[in-house]
Parts: sequence; structure tokens; C-alpha cells
Amino acid sequence: MIAYNRDWLDALLTKKTAAQWHEKGLLSDSQWSSIQAGYPAGFYSPNLFIRIGLAIFGLILLSAVMGLITLFFSPDSELAFFLLSIVWGVMFLVILEVWAVQRAHHFGSGIDDMLLYTGICAIIGGLYYVIPNSAGPLLYCCIAWPFLVIGSIRYLDHLLTIAAFICSLLIILLIVKEIPDMALYLLPFSGMIFSGSVYFGARRGQQNYTWRHWHNLLVMLELLALVTFYASGNYWVIQQAGLEWFALEQVPIAWFFWAFTFGVPLLYIMAGLSIKDRLLLDIGLGCIGAAVFTFRYYFQVLPLAWAGTIAGAVLFILAYTAIRYLHRYDRVFTYAAETDKSLLQEVEEQLIEQTIANQPSATPPAQQDTFGGGQFGGGGAGDNF
Amino acid sequence: MYRQIIRNLLQQALITPADAGKITQFETRKPFSLHWELKTMLYLGVLLLNVGLGVLVYENIDSIGHVVIITAIGLVSVGCFWYAIRHRYPFSLGEVKSPTPYYDYILLLGCLTLLLMEGYWQYQYQIFGTRYGLATFIPMVLFFAIAYWLDNRGVLSLAITALASWMGITVSLQEILTKNDFSSQAIAHTGIFLGALLTVIPFALERINIKKHFSLTYLNFGVHIGMISCLAGLFLLDIKIVYFALLCLFTGFFMWYARTRHSVYFLTVVIVYSYIGITYAIFTALPDFNPWFYLFYFLISCIGIIVFLTNYKKFFKNYTP
Repeated sequence: MIAYNRDWLDALLTKKTAAQWHEKGLLSDSQWSSIQAGYPAGFYSPNLFIRIGLAIFGLILLSAVMGLITLFFSPDSELAFFLLSIVWGVMFLVILEVWAVQRAHHFGSGIDDMLLYTGICAIIGGLYYVIPNSAGPLLYCCIAWPFLVIGSIRYLDHLLTIAAFICSLLIILLIVKEIPDMALYLLPFSGMIFSGSVYFGARRGQQNYTWRHWHNLLVMLELLALVTFYASGNYWVIQQAGLEWFALEQVPIAWFFWAFTFGVPLLYIMAGLSIKDRLLLDIGLGCIGAAVFTFRYYFQVLPLAWAGTIAGAVLFILAYTAIRYLHRYDRVFTYAAETDKSLLQEVEEQLIEQTIANQPSATPPAQQDTFGGGQFGGGGAGDNF
Repeated sequence: MYRQIIRNLLQQALITPADAGKITQFETRKPFSLHWELKTMLYLGVLLLNVGLGVLVYENIDSIGHVVIITAIGLVSVGCFWYAIRHRYPFSLGEVKSPTPYYDYILLLGCLTLLLMEGYWQYQYQIFGTRYGLATFIPMVLFFAIAYWLDNRGVLSLAITALASWMGITVSLQEILTKNDFSSQAIAHTGIFLGALLTVIPFALERINIKKHFSLTYLNFGVHIGMISCLAGLFLLDIKIVYFALLCLFTGFFMWYARTRHSVYFLTVVIVYSYIGITYAIFTALPDFNPWFYLFYFLISCIGIIVFLTNYKKFFKNYTP
């Protein structure tokens, strides 16, 4: 089912776990090197920046190939475009399978990612050429769905997993939306039920050792499910959707959705802390932010500047006291950094260092006359990422 | 998950049962780290406070309240600096660790509120009069001093930004004086100069052994400012050959840097920028539009770069993974 060499995937997993134990001093250096020797993995998975570079130039290359083929055949009908897209898609997927994965052993190298994405996009896009223009979004989602699901399962791809999840959610919502009379009431709850079942399914799947290669994808699904569960009951989402789809000014059972907007983030955080689940905790914290924004959207109790200042001070003091507390009592929770930084955390570290530099700097004179409105000009430091 | 891995390792006799016991105990008892959550909260707090206070000052400029607000900002700034100076570790030319986990953020808040105060004074009392350059020059000097004294890369980034806007301002004032299309040229030239300067500084400082770990921050600013300015000159200004030559110079330098220091980050960044520049140069040099040529150009050049990038280890000097 998986395109990549499963023994090597196992080796990667073992080495990644053992590396943490080694770093904590639970394994001696000689044990660590014998584990490394005992679990060889021959994948070509370069450094993140090389991967980004390969992805950029791979995409240009594939576009050039598509351009050349188009130029050569110069198709003039919709059918020809359809056939051409299918040909590209199949060609890229065959190259991915036969060359990139089997022969060159690429695994998350940027090249295999791009071959997969362009291949799948070409096939789905080609199919969209031939369906009638009157087709609704539901048909589009249903056509894309199998490719996204199979692609994410076979190539262990995160982006396709996200796309597959969103596509599934859309299919369900679009079907429920067509139910006469009841749609408005059923929509939020169908979103919640879908997210809830994905959440618990993904959590159970993570326990399953035979599904270990999909572990990261299941974590991704868990994360998405938490977000969409909250979004399904958030007052702002409900109100906007009601206005957009049903021209409804007033949200029915508003009290329930308000309680949901504020209750669920707290529930997430409490559950996250009590079962020590980072995803629940982090998404709960994020949802608190969303809840505050939702509230401010409807009730402007404080001017924005005051709200920002107070929120900033509260956040800072809260974190400060929490760190102080954890320094004294760090048996259950700790402020010490974990050894395995996720990619997201590394990106955040970079971002923090870079955005500090884009803070308001003193008086840009070009705006000297219109200086009154608070200056967030930033200091013209060029593009940094 | 980890239980199965322990079992596998035990079976292959790569670990002893005693190790397995230790590991299991560690996995079940290890404390839950709130490091990233709290760090993010600290950072967001500083950001929100700074933005909120910045708007508050100017919104309340005509009311009694603004005296209170500006005093509060001043107190925050003084308090932060007091904390930072009181808790600092002794100065060293090498790297100095932060004394407390929130130290960096408190220092940052101090610097940002200081900037707010300074901007307010200039707006309200024109303490620098019309010498706008001075308004960015002073914080720049101050931030560089603080960054080196208290060893803080966040403040160093602020200082470099202040340096950039100080140079930009001098340039923009010339623009006001001359009022011709010299303006964008001046900005591009300043950018190239600044990029080159930021690229040279770390090497000079490394030579005399001052704060070697600051080099990457300088070079990161240097490579982006320098190469973007070269590209801007190449795209928008007249004497394209000069900017192309400068671009090649930057490319050559950072390729050398990536080769000797084994930096894949600079390697990738430089390749992307120079590819844009070289592609533009080739396409403008060959005016007649022929889609076959363009597509073959992309095809062949991309294959070349991909082959190069996949073999980057051979490009690096004396590289042993």
C-alpha cells in the first residue's frame, strides 16, 4: 500500500525514537552507534532548504515539460486538453513511482513531492475539463476525493492528507446543505459529528502499531479535526454561514453557540493539561484567541488599542508567572525544552527572530505629515523570511 | 509505539533489559514541556503590548490621558531596562546565555517601548527638529550597543533595521531635494551598499573574535537586502550590466561562503535569487519571443540546478557528513 520501502521507514522511526533516548543519556554511545548500524535506511531525504530549492526548480521543470508537450501537440478542443492533462498526470505519477521512489529512493526530497502534486493536479484538472459546466461544487469534490485519499495513503503526504480531509468535510456539508428545512440546524452538528469521529478515529489509529507509518498523518488529521470541530460551533462561523447561505440575520439557539464559542476552548485546554496532550492544549489556546475575536466582532466593549494593550499585558504576566512557577515545581509540567523540535517550532523560532526586526521603528519622515495614526511602517528592511 | 520499538531492540540484543526498564520509566514519567506555549505567549504579549501602546499614544494625543500613557510607557521601559541590567551576566566577547527564560523578551519590550517614547517625543516636541536622520541614528547606536553589551540577537535585528531606515531616510531626503527619477536609483544603491556592508561586518568582527554567533544575523540581512536591491536595479534601472555584475559578485561571494561554511540555507537562497536574475538577463538580451527557446531554457536550466542541488555535498569543501 505504501510506495516507499517499509523496512527503511521502520528504520527511520526506530532511529528517531532512539536518538531522543540517546540524547537523554538513556543509551550509551556504543549502543546508539550499533542501533544506527543495525537500522540502515537508504532514502534520499535532503535538508529542508535543499528540499525547498528542489521543489521550486522541480515545479518550474515540470511546468516547462507540460509547456513543451502542449506546444508540440497544440491541442484545440476540450477533449484534447482533457487527454493531454491525463497524459501529463499519468506520466508524472509513473516517473514518481518507477524512477523517484523505486530507483532514486527519494523520500520527501522536494522532487517526489512536486511529481506527486503536479501529477494529481493534472489528472483532477483534466477530469474537470470534461464535466458539464452546470455541475455543482459537490461533483468537483467527489471527483477529487479518491485521488487525494489514495495519494495521501500511498505516498504518506501531509498536504494531500489536509486536502483529503477538507474535501471530505465539504462533501458532507454540501450534502447536508441540500436537506430541505432542516439544513440550517443540521449543518453545525454534522460538522461536529464528522470532526469528532475523525478525531477519535485518528487517535485510535495512532495506537495501532501496524499503522505506524501513517502515524504523522493521523496526528495531522487529529489537529484538523480539533480545529474544524471548534469552527463548526463558533458563533461567528455560524452567523456568517447563515447570512451567506440562508440570508438569516439572527442565529437560532444563539445561546448554545455562544456557550460553545467560549466553552470548547476551555475544555480543550483543561483536557490537554489533564491528559498531557499537546495538540489539545495548543489548539485550545489558539481557539481562545478566536473566541476573543468572535466576541469583539459583535461587541466593541473596548477600543482596539486598549484591548491589545491589556491582552498583551495579561499574556505576558500569565506566561511570566507560569514560567516562575514551573521553575519551582517541574515534576508534572516543565519549562525545559523538549529535545525533538518539530518543524513548526523551528519555523516559529526563525519567525520570531525575523519579525522582531519588523517592529515599528522611529519616525519615517516620508509620513511625517500624516504621522498621527500610529506608525507600523516597519523599517524598510527588505523581504526577510 | 515506543514499547514496540523497545521490544524490537531487545530482540536484536541492541539494548539490555535494564536499559529497557530505564527507558520505559522515562517515557511514562517524563514531565510535559510547556516551553513553546509559554514562549509564544511571552512573544505575543510583547507584540500586543507594543502595538497597543503605540496606537494609544497617538489616539489620545490631545487629551489629559496621554501624559499618563506616556508616563506608563516610560515606566515600562525603565522597568525593563532595570531588570535587564540587574540580572545580566558579565560581559564577554563570546556567547552569553540568557540569565532567565523571559530575559530576552523583557529586554525586547524595553527596547520597543523606548522606540515608542522616542517617536512620541519627536512628534510632540520635535526634539530632533528636522534632522530626521538623528531620530533613527540614536536608537541605532543605542541598539547596537545594547545588543553587544547584553548579547541579544533580537536587539541586533532591531539595530540593523534602524541602520537600514537611517540610510533609507538620508536617501529619501535627497529624493525630496532633487525630485527626479534618481530616487529609486538611490534606494537601490543604498540597498546594495547596505547589503555589502552587512556582509563584510561579520567577517571583520570574526577576525578580531567579537561575538562570532552574531554573524548569521548580519549575513541573513545582508544576503536578502543586497540581492533584492541588485534585482531591483536590474529590473527597473538603466545600466543593467552594472547591476548584473553586482548580482554575480554577491552570488559568487555567498556561493563561496556556502562552500566553505557548509551552509545549505545560503546555498539555496543564493541559487534562487541568482536564477531569477540570470533568467531575466538572458531573456532581455534575446528580444524576439520564441516559446520553444524559453521552454527549453527552463527545462535544461532546471535539470542542471536539480542535479547540482542533489549533489551539494560534493560542492562543499572538505565535507564529511
